[in-house]
Amino acid sequence: MPREVVVAEGLTKVFDGFKAVDEVSFRVVEGEVFGFLGPNGAGKTTTINMLITLMKPTKGEAWINGYSVLKEPDKVRRSIGVVFQDSTVDRELTGWENMWIHGVTYKVPRDVLKRKIVDLLGFVELDKYAKTQVRNYSGGMVRRLEIARALLHEPEVLFLDEPTLGLDPQTRAKIWEYILELKRRTGMTIFLTTHYMDEAERLCDRVAIIDHGKILVVGSPEELKRMIGRDVVYVKAFDERSAKMLIGEVARRGLALSYASPSSNVVSFTVEDAHSFIPEVFEVSSRLGVHILEVKYSKPTLNDVFLHLTGRELRDESGSWMDFMRARMRRGFRRG
Amino acid sequence: MLDFNTVYIMAYRQIKRFFRARSRVIGSILNPVMWLIFFGLGWSSLFKAPMAKIMFYGLDYMSYLAPGVLMMTIFMSSFIGGVTVIWDKEFGYLKEVLVAPVSRTASIIGRALGETLTAMLQGVAILIAVLLIAPLLNPLGAPLALAVGLLVALSFTSMGITIASRMKSMEGFHMLVNLIMLPLVFLSGAIYPIDNMPLWMKGIAYVNPLTYGVDLARWLLTGVSQMDPVFDLTLLLVLTAVMIAIASYAFNKATIE
Ligand SMILES: Nc1ncnc2c1ncn2[C@@H]1O[C@H](COP(=O)(O)OP(=O)(O)O)[C@@H](O)[C@H]1O
Ligand SMILES: [Mg+2]
Repeated sequence: MPREVVVAEGLTKVFDGFKAVDEVSFRVVEGEVFGFLGPNGAGKTTTINMLITLMKPTKGEAWINGYSVLKEPDKVRRSIGVVFQDSTVDRELTGWENMWIHGVTYKVPRDVLKRKIVDLLGFVELDKYAKTQVRNYSGGMVRRLEIARALLHEPEVLFLDEPTLGLDPQTRAKIWEYILELKRRTGMTIFLTTHYMDEAERLCDRVAIIDHGKILVVGSPEELKRMIGRDVVYVKAFDERSAKMLIGEVARRGLALSYASPSSNVVSFTVEDAHSFIPEVFEVSSRLGVHILEVKYSKPTLNDVFLHLTGRELRDESGSWMDFMRARMRRGFRRG
Repeated sequence: MLDFNTVYIMAYRQIKRFFRARSRVIGSILNPVMWLIFFGLGWSSLFKAPMAKIMFYGLDYMSYLAPGVLMMTIFMSSFIGGVTVIWDKEFGYLKEVLVAPVSRTASIIGRALGETLTAMLQGVAILIAVLLIAPLLNPLGAPLALAVGLLVALSFTSMGITIASRMKSMEGFHMLVNLIMLPLVFLSGAIYPIDNMPLWMKGIAYVNPLTYGVDLARWLLTGVSQMDPVFDLTLLLVLTAVMIAIASYAFNKATIE
């Protein structure tokens, strides 16, 4: 039996009568990369805050590395490394100084610490910028520094809250590389959150899909996609009424496993075999006299899983322009 | 048992940050020198009459003002230093501190100590300037006056930390500085005596810890004081201890919610 490094049982957080996290239970075993995938406001950060002892759960309990977050917060804190969603570095200090202060705080022996700072800054390719004040770093460099810093005291489990939020595609790829390299080299247990399905797919051994504070499903990306069917067929009808008619007839004949409607005149069907379903859907449409504008099909993605579980789309793929701008603006405001 | 490792590293951070902010270093020394020169020299030329000397307990105005400016410098610098906890909230660093497996009391004492040391550095610079400008002062009292400055710095850093721990955002920061700092300076006897103030102002002056620091420093540097120096010292010691305890309590309660 592999060791369970993170165990959550019925974690619940209520803010002024609003349930941000609702009876969340899950287990993360040693060496696993476990991800929370969910849209903004799903309760990902709040869950992390409870796991890392910064917020008291309203109800429920969690154990990190065998220690209770309620009763043994100090031991929990010693077991974890955290990269927060918003940066937590000291911008007036250099990268090296940020690392040094962290290492001394966590009581890493000074000679070991000096060596590890060099190693880890090398690992995230910041060695050239060790003596530069962090205020001159780019967003991606800050994130890399924070990853290096969180590893300094060799935690049992690393928490990454939206590790690539607001970063450009190249930087995102770099951060993915570090995380995968970390997993390969050290077998580090990692808990991460994201609202990018490609990120969850790429990095996670297992994913929990979370929405409105509740875990909807847990499984490997493969399992989750298999769960909804082999193929996903998108049909764009002439208008909402024709889309509704199509859905009705497909459902009556039992041609699809499930359907969801991401926008008024578009229907997404999950099916066993797109090749036999597409002729059938055309047959249905001509029988109903309904006009089909467009048909396409693909293997399911985690976005489809989310769509078929909730009826809504997860956010766009990572690197969207809006996300990037939003994060930029937030950083800009903060500096001012 | 106090965790000295944490005290040390948090003090280290504050000192590093202080020297990194060059404008703060220069400003913190320039500001009191300006007071001494423009305020001090300006008024002393007016206060030449013998009547004026009686007002300032037999001191010329410059000698009266000098210990006050010394304490004012240390007070302002340490209070603002304490309030910078709000910056850590705003820029996220507070979370890095709160999630660390160390005692929060130790980290807040380290922080207070770091700010205190930087305030003392400015105190030394001002003291040298003061001894040059107001030559009637007793240089032998200088080291002890600095020790008094240390207590003042510790208590006001702690007060700053307490206030910042309870603040939600930086919005109120400037108002706070003007609403708390300036009155505390004016109502401390640092730049004019408190004896003839309206009663309500006097009341505030007597609960202002700075009053006792100023009085004690003036006694050490000029031999003149309004209160019993032993009383000053006792009160200052007690107030400092209380302020540190409150700050540590407030910081232990600080959450990110
Ligand atoms: N301190 C707080 N006070 C009140 N509501 C909060 C607080 N923190 C988060 N929330 C609310 O809880 C919900 C979940 O937030 P969060 O955990 O940050 O979501 P995510 O990280 O998945 O985007 C949101 O609706 C958010 O507005
Ligand atoms: Mg979040």
